[in-house]
Amino acid sequence: MFDQGDDPAQPFDHARMLDILARADADRLAVLAEELLGGLGAVEVVQSRTGLVMLPLRDTVQGTDFHLGEVLVAEAHIRAAGTEGYGMIVGRDLTRAMAMAVVDAAASLGQTPAIRAFLRREAAEQAAADNARLREVEATRVDMETF
Amino acid sequence: MAYVATRGGERAIDQSERLYRAGLGQIDAARVDEIRRALPMLIDRVMGEASLYEPDLAALALAQAGGDLYEAVLLLRAWRTTQPRLAIAEAVLQDQLFTHRRISAAFKDIPGGQILGPSLDYAHRLLATDVLRGVPFIPTAVDPASVAAPAHQPSLAAWQKAQGLVADPARTDVAPDDIPDLTREPLLFPAERAHRLQSLARADTGGMLALGYSAMRGYGNAHPTVNELRLAEAEVRVRHPRGTVFSAGRVKVSQAEVTSKGKSGLLELGFCATLGWNEVKVISGATLDLNAPGAAKGSPVEEEFFLYHTEPVEASGFCIHFKLPHYVTFQSSLDALRGAKAATPAAPVKVTA
Repeated sequence: MFDQGDDPAQPFDHARMLDILARADADRLAVLAEELLGGLGAVEVVQSRTGLVMLPLRDTVQGTDFHLGEVLVAEAHIRAAGTEGYGMIVGRDLTRAMAMAVVDAAASLGQTPAIRAFLRREAAEQAAADNARLREVEATRVDMETF
Repeated sequence: MAYVATRGGERAIDQSERLYRAGLGQIDAARVDEIRRALPMLIDRVMGEASLYEPDLAALALAQAGGDLYEAVLLLRAWRTTQPRLAIAEAVLQDQLFTHRRISAAFKDIPGGQILGPSLDYAHRLLATDVLRGVPFIPTAVDPASVAAPAHQPSLAAWQKAQGLVADPARTDVAPDDIPDLTREPLLFPAERAHRLQSLARADTGGMLALGYSAMRGYGNAHPTVNELRLAEAEVRVRHPRGTVFSAGRVKVSQAEVTSKGKSGLLELGFCATLGWNEVKVISGATLDLNAPGAAKGSPVEEEFFLYHTEPVEASGFCIHFKLPHYVTFQSSLDALRGAKAATPAAPVKVTA
């Protein structure tokens, strides 16, 4: 995968940015949102709520999509400075979802160096956490012999 | 129902609930947090059966129910109805799962290799009694490999289809909004495959094990071998109002394919998956799915039988409702019994010749 964020001049595409924000550290995300809030002026909260997202999975036998069950999510939707911001995260932390929406709204007006620096750091931490886990998982690779 | 024809006992009922809750003591955030951190397997089981993924709420339900699984599942299913449905996520495909464990008991050299992941399969089952004498059990850390395991792996069935070992039925894409949904439609028979698999995903682990085990012991049509067992995390991919699809985070899922040699000369497969990591449940469910085709009416591996009897809230609710007053219905049975007795002619007197 093209590793966005290596070049500080390149903005993150929207999907990649949202992926990173939804997994970002809650405290650091809140700090960034606080900093960006001033530049957005009056904020209209369109939605701030918890709710359910149904999660389908594809059966490997017949290729049938079916519902595994519902996941509780927190959702935030705001309007400010002539733009919109949206956040949705797994769990019930409305503050995290709202912080994500604030960053999304601010970034839609232009990804400032502060936003890009934040995304680069969070992306690196998320990749490092995945890598650490997968190195532990790799340690359990087994080569069975039959007799 | 007859038990509505009773009244009174309000004080006793109130004190009875108090007596139950007093036995559980104070429930606070620390207790809920400890349950969530200490009992992830139990949390996963409850979330899967409740069909609601939220570990904090599952821990709270367990705390409030004092560990009674059926009460906890009922609390979560009831709470779920207070929440709006915001979206249906994109369907998760196997090669998108962040995989922690993937093994096959049927094929030794599977593409991607066998990854044991977190497991007690080959561990000694010894109770750490020293803990009770004040010596904490401190787990030994994993020695990580120098390289990372691949995060994503295709399903073994996909490889078998490419090899011509299993049937590869044509599939048609279904829009997420059109996927059959048991929370909004009744379960009818023969069940749509999407209904069967959703029902198994929500089913009671113990009930599935009992019925699946009956098939494994020989009361079914096919003996299962685990084709692939996987513990993973799935991305919950949702849509931004501007149309961008992104992941709102990950949830734990488990899935199993089981296989047996079919009459057609191909391998036959059964499938089951659920929210959370629950290996007994998905292996049992996949065994039931494998055995269902052609099963005799009323056998434990017939889909109507196993789907109806493994729905945890309905089954446990029906069982415990028998504790509630049935005085009127039972009185009616008694009246019938007495009536029959009164109407029965006395035994004829034997006359000796």
